[in-house]
Amino acid sequence: MINYKELGFKAGLEIHQQIEGRKLFCHCPALVNDENIPNIKFKRKLRAIAGETGEIDQAAKFEMSKDKEITYEACSSSSCLVEYDEEPPHELNKEALEIALQISLLMKCKIVDSIQFMRKTVVDGSNVSGFQRTALVGTDGFIETSKGKVKIETVCLEEEAAKKIKEENNSITYRLDRLGVGLIEIATHPDIKDAEHAKEVASIIGMILRSTGKVKRGIGSIRQDVNISIKGHSRVEIKGFQDLRNIPKTIENEIHRQNKTKDELPHVRKANPDFTTEYLRPMPGSSRMYPETDINVIEITKEFIDSIKLPELISEKTMSIKEKYNINDNLARELIKMGIDFESFVNEFPKIKPDFIANVLVEMKKDIQTRNKKEVTMQMIQNALSYYNEGKIGKDAVYEVLVDFVLKGDTDLSKYKQIDESEIEKYIKEFISKNKALTFGALMGEIMNKYKGKIDGKKASELLKKYLKP
Amino acid sequence: MAKKYSTLDKIEVDLKDNVYRGIVMPNSDSKTLFLKLESGYNLGILSKNIKKIKLIKKVSKNKTQSSHKIKHNNNLPLISILHTGGTIASKVDYNTGGVISRFEPEELIGMFPELEKIANIESIFISNIFSENLRFRDYKKLADAIEKEIKKGVKGIIIGHGTDTLHYTSAALSFMFDHLPIPIILVGSQRSSDRGSSDAALNLINAAYFIANTPFKGVGICMHKNIEDDSCLILPPLKTRKLHTSRRDAFKVVNSNPIAEVNYSKNKFIMFSKSENEQGTWKVKAKFEEKVGILKVYPNLNSKQIESFKGYKGLIIEGTGLGHISTDNSPENKKIFNTLKKLSKNCVIVMTSQCLFGRVNLNVYSTGRDLLKIGIIPGEDMLPETAYIKLAWLLGNYKKQEVRQMISKNLKGEINKRLDLEFL
Repeated sequence: MINYKELGFKAGLEIHQQIEGRKLFCHCPALVNDENIPNIKFKRKLRAIAGETGEIDQAAKFEMSKDKEITYEACSSSSCLVEYDEEPPHELNKEALEIALQISLLMKCKIVDSIQFMRKTVVDGSNVSGFQRTALVGTDGFIETSKGKVKIETVCLEEEAAKKIKEENNSITYRLDRLGVGLIEIATHPDIKDAEHAKEVASIIGMILRSTGKVKRGIGSIRQDVNISIKGHSRVEIKGFQDLRNIPKTIENEIHRQNKTKDELPHVRKANPDFTTEYLRPMPGSSRMYPETDINVIEITKEFIDSIKLPELISEKTMSIKEKYNINDNLARELIKMGIDFESFVNEFPKIKPDFIANVLVEMKKDIQTRNKKEVTMQMIQNALSYYNEGKIGKDAVYEVLVDFVLKGDTDLSKYKQIDESEIEKYIKEFISKNKALTFGALMGEIMNKYKGKIDGKKASELLKKYLKP
Repeated sequence: MAKKYSTLDKIEVDLKDNVYRGIVMPNSDSKTLFLKLESGYNLGILSKNIKKIKLIKKVSKNKTQSSHKIKHNNNLPLISILHTGGTIASKVDYNTGGVISRFEPEELIGMFPELEKIANIESIFISNIFSENLRFRDYKKLADAIEKEIKKGVKGIIIGHGTDTLHYTSAALSFMFDHLPIPIILVGSQRSSDRGSSDAALNLINAAYFIANTPFKGVGICMHKNIEDDSCLILPPLKTRKLHTSRRDAFKVVNSNPIAEVNYSKNKFIMFSKSENEQGTWKVKAKFEEKVGILKVYPNLNSKQIESFKGYKGLIIEGTGLGHISTDNSPENKKIFNTLKKLSKNCVIVMTSQCLFGRVNLNVYSTGRDLLKIGIIPGEDMLPETAYIKLAWLLGNYKKQEVRQMISKNLKGEINKRLDLEFL
């Protein structure tokens, strides 16, 4: 067991989340993985530029000492002159700004009165211009966690960097599809109590980000960097976690590593999939930012802030549908994850029990898709549920109808027409008298087979029991 | 509240529910205070939201001194760099984001250390203006400075220049100087030199490398060959135009070929054409006629626009296609023709084409033939900008009758009688 207090453990998170829509400063789509074959290729060199004190930034110098030739590859479907640093930035994507403000407000941040984009020097080539555009949007917020409040120091809106494709001795290749995609950067105060808490904080922040419905999903769309320090050791930043679940173990290992080594200079480490870390580069200096003069200062008026609608948090939404409709936790979470407006389904099909609707939307959909390797669309579900709601089919037929939709594109309702109970009753009576030796299960099977989809299983069993009584 | 702080002071700003600490930025005004936080970020705070300001530290006068000491190398030639303005050889003030110019040789070598291996550098300040603000008197000033350097015996001159009107200046220098004994290379930059990706370094270093190694004499422009940081082209001063608002390779040769391709890092340059290099002592004629203008032809043109050139000594028409202007029998266009006819009595009018590529020809359509009849001179394959500078220079130095003869004659490579297939 690690005694975090004794260690003087301090940790904060820096989270980067990609946003959907168009890129931040041009009109290219925010593609992070353009499937097209790159049709543009060019080579550049970056020079280290002296900073405000006349000194070249420590991190910049490190990169320049490598004297690399940089090759950029691009598809014209996902990048333009702005990415090639051949055209000044266009006006800021207003929608991205609104998302950044939403997130800041959800984290109870103070919004700055005027946003000024900065140029942050980046000399590894991942930004064609040699800098990343970034702006401070919100400060001094907080989130609630199981171990108390964690302060949010800053929320920034910035540009995503290009993707490294290849690195050899003196050359490095980047692809530009991702460059310029909007990125929200959230930095917490070092309020994190222990390794497990770091994971919790990351997952709460992730949940808040996803609540906007406008952030990217999937591998690489969110990145967590962990800053940690323990007594007698300099701060270390760990980057590149593949999975949130790797955070606690990796932090623990890093603590062990530091305890075994002498104090090092502050630096950046890379998280490996086996929970170890390795040296990446020195910590960037602080003299690496200056105003981006190609973009006007953006005034954030009170009216603008007031006009921003805040989404309900996923955690709150899950709680509320869970309680209101009495459905289980898992289903509720899945519904929210799928972005389904469950309430409108319940209102549209008042005769169907909410937990059945939830089941169809989540479990039944998944099941049919796996079995048939074809997608069950929302329209199919809508149609099947409305047949059931209107009494055109029975509950058990919903599955069959959906299978028909998936396989044939249509269904024959007459096949599932609910038949008169008395007719079934008559049949059951006759059948039992002819097959007295059959068990309940066998009888049930025969009846369900004959009246597939036309009778509710529960009903059939009730009837059987009625006539099986001696 | 009385202002207790000034720009670059470190202060603490107390707002209703939070506190910011940072350095006061110069773009602050009475409405908004801009602070640079310790994190490096700048933000704006509305003055009306500020409750209290505490001064933490007065600004200390920052003594930026270059540690770089230049050693004179007897084996290297002397190159003078003349600064007229623009982004080349300018640096960003990282505190304010404003551009400051660096003109000391030490500063230049500090920014472009490669220069030290190519030549001994002199650095001369002439002006610091955006090139769209240049006037003819600035050309004169530049010519004077060049004269001084030539007399000093330099191997060549680099002129740092804003890109917007760089091709006008290159034309002006070409006409002003006869028998230039040295290479004079104009260099611009399309990306500010604060960024690692700036094109300034490659352009400047390649220009210096070219000068140090070439037998070429005359004026040239040194800019990126394409969007890569690889080669630069030395472009002909009278046949080059800025054809893109922002690309590194914005300057393209029109109706001609580049002079050379230069690549310092690969240690080579290729000459495509020789300098004229006629024998003769160099001289300078730096006068320009002020009353010269350019008129662009477009649909629905109004004759009033032509009337506005009344009293002008020269006019360049940027005609459509082969060199046309609206002159048919419709009442509006008839008026245009009559106004032109009247104007041409006392004004040298030269027809060029807004197509840029190709030659004007006023014999193909009757409209063109009518223009010839009223004395409009076809400008051959001259760029309108080049023709404008040429006409102003001719009118400044020669009699009107001479000007009419000289304008359509090739003096310095501005007219190419044989156009080949080269096109974009």
